[in-house]
Amino acid sequence: MALLRDADRENLRQELSKLQNPVKLLFFSQALNCDYCPLTKQVLEELVSLSDKIQLQEYNCAIDRDAVAQYKIARVPAIALVRVEPPKLLVTGNEPSRERDYGIRYYGVPAGFEFAALVGDIMDVSLGESGLSDQSKAALRQLKEPLHLQVFATPT
Amino acid sequence: MAMESELITADMVEASEYPELSELYQVYGVPLTVANEKVRVEGGMPEQVFISQILQGIGVSPMVSEN
Repeated sequence: MALLRDADRENLRQELSKLQNPVKLLFFSQALNCDYCPLTKQVLEELVSLSDKIQLQEYNCAIDRDAVAQYKIARVPAIALVRVEPPKLLVTGNEPSRERDYGIRYYGVPAGFEFAALVGDIMDVSLGESGLSDQSKAALRQLKEPLHLQVFATPT
Repeated sequence: MAMESELITADMVEASEYPELSELYQVYGVPLTVANEKVRVEGGMPEQVFISQILQGIGVSPMVSEN
């Protein structure tokens, strides 16, 4: 059964038509001991079906150790959002597509508010614009050390 | 925020699915933001207030230098 209602699906399709650069959702799951992995996968599959600018790539945490390390995945289910950059030159044609990873991760089923946040982040990452005020951007440029934010939320 | 600085990583965590983590950071209400595993900022607030609370919490002066 579909998770998204038809009306929501149509609204989302419209919203996602504003995407520019493709966004890849890297979904990290595992077969055992992950109660929320199947539901997360279903949410993501429905989401990517609404735009050809969103790609879904699934990794198995038990097997794809390199990807887990590269994207610093802490637990499952996890989603990393990366922007797929256009190739630098049109010369070779077989240049691997580059990614821009802003360090944005989702842990757990993106439902309710989290789903809306995920869609918003996909838009921001695609357009390369955070939407923060100039003052906020200036304040964040003062950082000299790493800052790890963990935002706890619930679906309702 | 993570988009504005290479130094920032941002995890969105579904609190009820990770009870150990929620217990570790004493998540009793949401949203709760934890910065660098130690600074807790509770509730929703305007962007500017949020950013200055986070920066102050980790010891970065939020004052913008004039020069």
